[in-house]
Amino acid sequence: MNVLALEFPPVSHLFSWPDIFFSDTAYAINKTSLIYLAAVVITATIFLLAGRNTGSLVPAGIQHVAESGVTFIEESVVMETIGEEGKKFVPFLTTMFFFILFSNIFEVIPGIQFPANSRMAIPITLALVVWVIYNFVGVRSQGLGGYLKNSLFPPGVPVALYLIVTPIELVSTFVVRPFSLAIRLWANMVAGHLLLVTFAVLTQTLWSNGYVGAVAPFSMLVMMTGFEILVSVLQAFIFTILTAVYIGGSLHPAH
Amino acid sequence: MRNRRTRLLAAPLLTMLCVLAFAGPAQASGESVGACMAEHLEELVDQHDGDLHHVLHDEHVQDELEKCFEAPNPILPETTEIIWGGAAFLILFVVMVKKGFPAVKGAMDARAEKIRSDLDAADQAKADALAVQADYEARLADAKSEASRLIDEARGAADQVKADLMMRHEAEMADQRERAAVEIESARAQAIADLRAEVAEIALGAAERVVQSSLDAEVQGRLIDAYIDEVTGSNG
Repeated sequence: MNVLALEFPPVSHLFSWPDIFFSDTAYAINKTSLIYLAAVVITATIFLLAGRNTGSLVPAGIQHVAESGVTFIEESVVMETIGEEGKKFVPFLTTMFFFILFSNIFEVIPGIQFPANSRMAIPITLALVVWVIYNFVGVRSQGLGGYLKNSLFPPGVPVALYLIVTPIELVSTFVVRPFSLAIRLWANMVAGHLLLVTFAVLTQTLWSNGYVGAVAPFSMLVMMTGFEILVSVLQAFIFTILTAVYIGGSLHPAH
Repeated sequence: MRNRRTRLLAAPLLTMLCVLAFAGPAQASGESVGACMAEHLEELVDQHDGDLHHVLHDEHVQDELEKCFEAPNPILPETTEIIWGGAAFLILFVVMVKKGFPAVKGAMDARAEKIRSDLDAADQAKADALAVQADYEARLADAKSEASRLIDEARGAADQVKADLMMRHEAEMADQRERAAVEIESARAQAIADLRAEVAEIALGAAERVVQSSLDAEVQGRLIDAYIDEVTGSNG
């Protein structure tokens, strides 16, 4: 795509990757899949290594990373949104947080520079898993009738307003939630990737047309790289905390 | 300090170089339209036994080639990515639930328990130390009061001893004074008797020499007593 003399690659070419292994099969592996697998390896390695070092009184290095993550999920996410009974969800939420985080962070890793969650596969899969979990938790803790009643007819609302509130709650809780959860993560990573590519292309083009002009886009590229690290962490946190909020809402009906 | 500063400067510099060096690969190496068309053409020519002319005039071929201009939908996920992503998450979840999370959580709980038990032990040790200190302070107070009592007793005993000694001393002194007085009186009486006998003898001799006569014993006695009385009266 040629925009103002800039050779900008087609948007689809920024996100669609050719198969690397098992081409043209249902289990073909491309760059996105490799990043997901790398996220698994990194997270599992951190936790398995951290778990081996049990002797020291003051955690350091990789152990500190793992323990900070667990403490963060337990205290800042679960205890704040669900409470004591939410502790059984800490392993799931911790796994999800680290998996999303490492899938995102490849956006700024030199040589890879692609956030796997800018593809819809994992955002929508995880969002559907979350949808199943919070509905299952709601039905199990309140019973099907109670869960539907509390979800669709929030207590404290004047009866006449149920005409408006109930359809909104029905769509919001049972239809929109998984998609909003998935699209929030996906869109943020897409936007971040496009920003980085834009400034990289600008830098590349202006560098070849006289070096001085590349300073400004390159500065922006460096700044945006730092910003995208923040976005990667933040989006992982948002996905995790919203999951916890949904589970908490299913466990504790609105008062 | 200098080393730290160098590292601080090196980190952003290295990051910038990496970003610059690897900015190119940020662009996906997706298949180009030309390559897509060439691939399709090759397949179709093969299907038509190498008859390119026939292939180029086939309507289906044109429809097939137009698909190369259709960009893949960036929103719809690819099935392979869902399979690998879902499997990856599932594997990670199982590993985390079975191994990673319990190990890390166990280490954290063990540390928390150790810290808690150490704190309890420290509290217990502190309580013990305070109890020992209180015990020592009580014993010290007892010892002090005991010492004070002993000192008072000693002081009382000393005073008593002193008073007894003084009393005995005074009694002895009085006794000695009394004995001395008796001895003095006895010596005095002895001296008077001796003196009287001496004076009587002297007076008798003198009288004999004066009167040169012999007096009977009665007269001598009377004269002697009269003389002694006179002498005593003049001495007393």
